[in-house]
Order: sequence, then structure tokens, then C-alpha cells
Amino acid sequence: MERIFLKKDLGKNLEEYDFLGLKNALKMQPQQVINKIKESGLRGRGGAGFPTGIKWETVFSIENDTKFIICNADEGEPGTFKDRFLMENLPFKVLEGIIISGYATGSKYGYIYIRGEYVEAIKIVKKAIEKLYEKNILGENILNSDFLFDLKLVRGAGAYVCGDETSLINSIEGDRGKSRIKPPLPVFEGLYGKPTVVNNVETLAAAAEIMSYDNNPYSQMGTEKSRGTKLVSISGDVNKPGVYEVEFGKLTVKDIVQELAGGVKGEKIGFVIPGGISTEALTEEELDVPYTYENLQKMGSNIGSGGMIVVSSQRNHLEIVKNVSDFFRDETCGTCFPCREGNKNINKIVSDIYKRGYPTSHEIEIISDIQYAVSSAARCGFGESSLNLILSIFEKFYTKKVEV
Amino acid sequence: MEKYYEKELLEELHDIQETYGFISEEDILRISQKRDIPKAQLYGVISFYSMFHLEPTGKYIVRVCDSVSCRLNESTTLVKALKDYLKVEENETTKDKKFTLEVVECLGHCDEGPVMMVNDTYYTHLTVTKAIQILDSLE
Repeated sequence: MERIFLKKDLGKNLEEYDFLGLKNALKMQPQQVINKIKESGLRGRGGAGFPTGIKWETVFSIENDTKFIICNADEGEPGTFKDRFLMENLPFKVLEGIIISGYATGSKYGYIYIRGEYVEAIKIVKKAIEKLYEKNILGENILNSDFLFDLKLVRGAGAYVCGDETSLINSIEGDRGKSRIKPPLPVFEGLYGKPTVVNNVETLAAAAEIMSYDNNPYSQMGTEKSRGTKLVSISGDVNKPGVYEVEFGKLTVKDIVQELAGGVKGEKIGFVIPGGISTEALTEEELDVPYTYENLQKMGSNIGSGGMIVVSSQRNHLEIVKNVSDFFRDETCGTCFPCREGNKNINKIVSDIYKRGYPTSHEIEIISDIQYAVSSAARCGFGESSLNLILSIFEKFYTKKVEV
Repeated sequence: MEKYYEKELLEELHDIQETYGFISEEDILRISQKRDIPKAQLYGVISFYSMFHLEPTGKYIVRVCDSVSCRLNESTTLVKALKDYLKVEENETTKDKKFTLEVVECLGHCDEGPVMMVNDTYYTHLTVTKAIQILDSLE
């Protein structure tokens, strides 16, 4: 793996790990920590890309005796495995980020919610939490400061939708992982109705790393709107699948596939799913785009969670569409009508198309209508993005070939 | 504040299942009384999560991933071979109660597919032969 930003601490055990980010943070006022994160330009790495410093500042500014930090480690997007990599290889960096966000926001309580299937990551993080309590890095008077912070691990139990922050909150509260209507946003009324920061694993690890420097090297990397680096997990038809750290703007999507992941297995690239199966596919002709939030958005797609899947031109595209549609049909929480019925109905149409081997223009029109309805009316990110990939594949590969 | 730090319901359910292999009606009744949650609500929660079981499962739960990345690594062939070998369909348990087969969504080892998990152990870069050898070796 090519390492740029998280390089120096990979594989370190507790004795070797310096917690410099936390030590620096504790010497500062919470607002100063928030300012440093804001200056770094760090955006949420779970998929939505919301500025992290602003989220922290909102929770900090609300007066409440009880606030929560939740580390969202419910990584379940097919093609995405960078959070597992971080938890298994850099658990202290992730936990350090959670504690720093607790300090910066005035929260005394934190949760890390890890998907139940990640048994190895769960074991490692559980042990790391125990060690941090022993070393006085969690609990009362952390590192001899006035700051106290408790952290608990909660295991998910097999529900992709719990990656949505409001579903995740319901899940920790002991409910079905159904999404909540927003507003109120979790920063105002989150876990048990209290102000809550929900941050992705990679976001928190990056925050810990940013705090470990006196200057701000993170903000020097990347572009104006996409600062720093991003962990990209690549899988599918490539020769060297794995987790790579990419500086924003330095490489194009094509470079990532060709240079980092060793190129496509098969004749040529059919399409690339740039950020997990909730993001629109890019055709081979569209891959010369620099890897940044703004450039991928310009292409009608998204960085998403960084889960890049490469599909060779020799594959049956309809099989992928069917697989993705089955996934969303099965994983919708079913609470809101557009997402539940939309995904079910699309799945019926997609199944017909898959059996027949091609779509009709009428079917593509219906899919487009349903996609519009679901993406604009669904409660949470799951529904909003569930049909993006499916529709993009139909639009890019099948509109010219179908019968009229 | 302590009330927030009681054991979360999901953790309690995980612990029960780890001990007994499934969550029984008696457990549900007990939790319902202890936490003052209606039984119907508890059933709703438990059935929502695919990792919880209301019925006994086999000694080994075999979870095979069939999501996009694994599909590109021929997981379909693996799933079919395992069904044939164990003589069960998805979510069924073998007659000798040894194996329960589950076809699951993404196990997060997309770069090492196809992947299966047997109880808490991951097996990556599988072939049909290798997968069957692994199951054969389990007592």
C-alpha cells in the first residue's frame, strides 16, 4: 500500500504509539482544536463529505450536560473495506480521533459502532479500548488533564442501513435500524435526544493525525475543495486490489486503476464504480478525471466511501445491475415508502431485463422516473442514492441499443 | 448518566446468541420484563438484524459473500457448490445440525474474494475445492 499521511504509525503497538494528536489537543482550548480541524479542510469520509470542523463546532456550541460522539464503523458498502483496514492496523489512531472529538465538542461519552461481521476488527478495537483505560487515556483525568471521556463498543448485527447516521443511532438505542426524519439533525437531537457527532472511522483517524502536527500539512495536500488524502479501497477486475492512500487531485481515476491497482484484468475496462455501489458508474472514456470531490461531482458521480470497483468490458453488465438491485431491495429498512417500494419495483423490472438480456426504452424511462421519485423523497442517504448506479449503467450503456 | 451505559440491547442479544446459539422465547420474555419493552417490539428488533437467530442454527454458520466484488471473483460458483455439497438452500441447516448456510451481503474483504466466514473465522481467495476441504476438516 502506498502511504502518505497515516504512514508513520502503521502497525505500531501501544508502547510505540505517541498519542501526540491527543496530547496537543489537550493543551489547547476546544475552540482552538475545532479551528485547526476547520483549517485543515477535512470532510467526512463516510460518503457525504460534510466539513468535520463545522459538525464539531455545532455540537460544541450547544449547551448540554450530555453530548455524544459516535464513531460510525458500520462499513457495509460492497467494495469498501478501508475502515476495516484502519481498525485492524491503526486502532489507536481511530480511538485517539474519537477522544479528541469528545474533547473538542465537550462530550464525555463516546460509542464506536462496528458492524457485527467485522469480528477481527471488533476483537482488536475491544482490546485497544481496554488498554487505553489501563493507560489512563480513557476514563477520568485523561493524561493527567481535567478531561474525562468514556468509550463503549457496540456491535451491529447485520443491517447495511445502519451505516446511515440516524439508523445507527436507533440501533444503539436498541431499536430496529430504521432511519429518522431529518430535521432535527443528530448534532441537535441525536442519541437519546442529545447533541451527537457521528463521524466515520477514516474521518476520526485523519483528525487525530492532523492534530499531531504543529503546522497543518494536511491542508497543504489536495485541492481547495478536497484537502488532504483519501483511502481508496479497490476491488473487482484489477490485478492488485487493496487499500491505497491517494492525495486528492494528484491522480486521475484512471491512474488509480492503472498505476496503483495494477490495471484491469481482462480486455479493457467496462466501467468503474468510483465510490461504492451507491455512486454512478464511469465509463472508460470518463476516467481521465482527477480524483477529487468536485471533479467526480462534475462527472455526475461521487467519491462516496472510496470503495472503487472495476468491472471489465467482458462482464455482463446486467448481472452487476441485478446483483446491486437485489442488495438494495434486501437492505432497505422499509420504514419509508419511496425507498421500500421503489427498490422493490425496480428490482422486478431489472429481473425482467436480466432474463431477457436487454432493456426496452420504456423500462429505462420507468426506472428513471422511479429513481427521481426515490432519490428526492426518501428519508435518508440509503434511499437517496440507492438507484444511482443502476440508472447510470442503463443510461450510459443501453439507451442507444434498445428497441424503440 | 449511568442509564446510558447499561448494556445496550444489541450487545445483550449478541451475548445471548454467543452463549446459546440463538435467542429463545424465554430470553425474549426475560428481556421484555427486565427492560420493559413489549415482546412484539423485541421480535421486531431481533428479526430486523440478519445476524440474530430465533431458531437454533447448525454448529457452524457458513456465511458466503455474494456482493458485487465477490461476484466478480466467481462467488456464484462457490455458493452453488456449497449448496450442492451441504444439500441445503440459503438459510437452511443440514440434517445433522452441523452447518447453516447463509448467503450474505459484503463481508468487507472485497480485495480477497471470494470469501466465506465459518463462525468467527474468515477464509479468503477461495476455490470450490478449498472451501469444501475447509468444511470437511471441521468436526
